[in-house]
Amino acid sequence: MSETTTNPHGIAEGHPDQRPMIVLEGVSKTYPGQTIPAVAELDLAVPRGSIVMLVGPSGCGKTTTLKMMNRLIEPTTGRILLDGEDVTGVNADQLRRRIGYVIQQVGLFPHFTVGENIAVVPRMLGWDRQRIRQRVDELLELVGLHPREFRDRYPRQLSGGQQQRVGVARALAADPPVMLMDEPFGAIDPVTRERLHDEFLEIQRTVRKTICFVTHDLQEAIKLGDHIAIFTAGGRLAQYDTPEGILSRPANDFVAEFVGSGAAVRRLHLIALSTLDLDEIATGSSPTAAALVTVPLSGSVYDAVDAMLDAQTSVVAVVDDDGQAVGALRWNTLVEKLQLRGLHP
Amino acid sequence: MSVGGVPGLITVSRRRKGMRSYADLLSTPLIVLLGGAAVALWVSTRTLDDIEARALQPSAILSDLGQHLILTAYSTLFVIVIAVPLGILLSRKGARRIRNVVLAVGGFAQALPPYGVLVLIAFAPAPFGFNPFSVIMGLVAAALLPVLRNTVVGLRQVDPALIEAARGMGMSGRATLFRVELPLAVPVMMAGIRVALVLNVGTAVLATFVGGGGLGSLIVRAQTLNRPIVLVTAGAIVAALALMVDWLAGVAERLVRARTS
Ligand SMILES: Nc1ncnc2c1ncn2[C@@H]1O[C@H](COP(=O)(O)OP(=O)(O)OP(=O)(O)O)[C@@H](O)[C@H]1O
Ligand SMILES: [Mg+2]
Repeated sequence: MSETTTNPHGIAEGHPDQRPMIVLEGVSKTYPGQTIPAVAELDLAVPRGSIVMLVGPSGCGKTTTLKMMNRLIEPTTGRILLDGEDVTGVNADQLRRRIGYVIQQVGLFPHFTVGENIAVVPRMLGWDRQRIRQRVDELLELVGLHPREFRDRYPRQLSGGQQQRVGVARALAADPPVMLMDEPFGAIDPVTRERLHDEFLEIQRTVRKTICFVTHDLQEAIKLGDHIAIFTAGGRLAQYDTPEGILSRPANDFVAEFVGSGAAVRRLHLIALSTLDLDEIATGSSPTAAALVTVPLSGSVYDAVDAMLDAQTSVVAVVDDDGQAVGALRWNTLVEKLQLRGLHP
Repeated sequence: MSVGGVPGLITVSRRRKGMRSYADLLSTPLIVLLGGAAVALWVSTRTLDDIEARALQPSAILSDLGQHLILTAYSTLFVIVIAVPLGILLSRKGARRIRNVVLAVGGFAQALPPYGVLVLIAFAPAPFGFNPFSVIMGLVAAALLPVLRNTVVGLRQVDPALIEAARGMGMSGRATLFRVELPLAVPVMMAGIRVALVLNVGTAVLATFVGGGGLGSLIVRAQTLNRPIVLVTAGAIVAALALMVDWLAGVAERLVRARTS
């Protein structure tokens, strides 16, 4: 991805289907009766099939930005293009049925069952019952809720995290090409959240949706985002870049402070173990392969370092899906490799 | 004469679970049944003279009761037909200013003594006059506010996030109203309708003074005859009717709430 030419937004240009899916041009929003804009002069291009994370302090205009994309809020100035088409020109209801929307407050209908909640958009689109039913079960399965157990429950019979997952399933229901997600995993415990992240990325690898995802959690932004937009209070865009770019080249003090200390450690998340040349295993004298701490090949350097520190060892074995060791990673060689990659300061 | 416990405040009682809810579901019919049986027993032990027997003729009582029910049904129906759509309009965002004005006028109408309203309407030009139509209009004026207010309140208390979720998924404003807002407001609206119904059952007793008939006629007859046994029977019938109507409305309210929440 680093070889293509990039414009100021960091978006690759050229191929027609690389035309951005969502474009904001000079978009501002000032709420009636307020003097300071909630969003100010925002230019943003969201590439087709990619995930853009909107990050920033509370009240910086993330939700406002999302709602302007599906016209729940009309911008005061500027233009919003969806797939090259100005959104103000199309019927708002029709537009929204093509855009999955996960609202910050989850917003499940309390008088509908989980299944009926998920079926809202498909019903509006006139799908037949059989197809809707299949889709509901498929989606529940996807978000890790057993259809038979959860389909006929009411939202009040679910935990906050389960409700959020139903909210995501509901937004995915009609398979919209664009998804706007406002802190969809906010109320989910770290372990489940981690699992959902992995599944989310797995799904995204196959369905390739264009996703705008709001979060407060920089870690989540780094893990999920192809690009990250960091907002400052007052609705200004402080930096729009890839996760690497944000972590290694903060554009200004605000971003540097927002990223905070520990950027170097965070960057370790971005290096997949599978991209490293690993040492051969069992060539060394000291610990034998069987005694080594193992990390999965699908993990990142962060996981490997975490395992080393946790076990107080300077070497870990990297294993594939079947548990077969494919190589070893040593602390010293790791540091050298990172220096070679130019990823360390 | 005012009948039935008309609550001044319309509160939506919490849903209670288990035996307790069955107990208070059964208590009203039980009281009505026992009270009715006691009065019937008392009447049957007495030998009625001619006048009393004529006054307590089942056919006469049934005809008064029928008229009373018709007055109550029509007035409540009109209240719903007028107050619910008006309440929906007033609950919209754009109606913020006019909302309070209309609710204040509604409160004023309710504060007027129903008897005065009935008499005024009866002396108004046609189609008003000493007829059931005037009675129904008077009852509607007196019972409009609870339904209007509860419709507005019920719709306004729907979580804005739900409306936003509905609109955000591409539901039209109309679909959002019918599929999300109204179903969620129905329990509160039902509480208002129940109050209107009970008000109407009670106030319809006054209909007889402006040519509207109803159970008020039975009471007036009893008073002119000055026979305690007729008076007690008439009172018991009116009280039993009010209690049973309130009970039925309560059961309906409970069913609606169980379905929607
Ligand atoms: N409907 C509204 N009317 C007036 N002001 C609003 C409205 N909605 C949001 N604001 C204001 O606009 C600013 C941006 O709000 P927004 O909801 O977009 O923030 P956010 O970045 O999503 O915050 P959070 O992370 O807390 O969800 C805030 O200062 C907020 O008070
Ligand atoms: Mg927000």
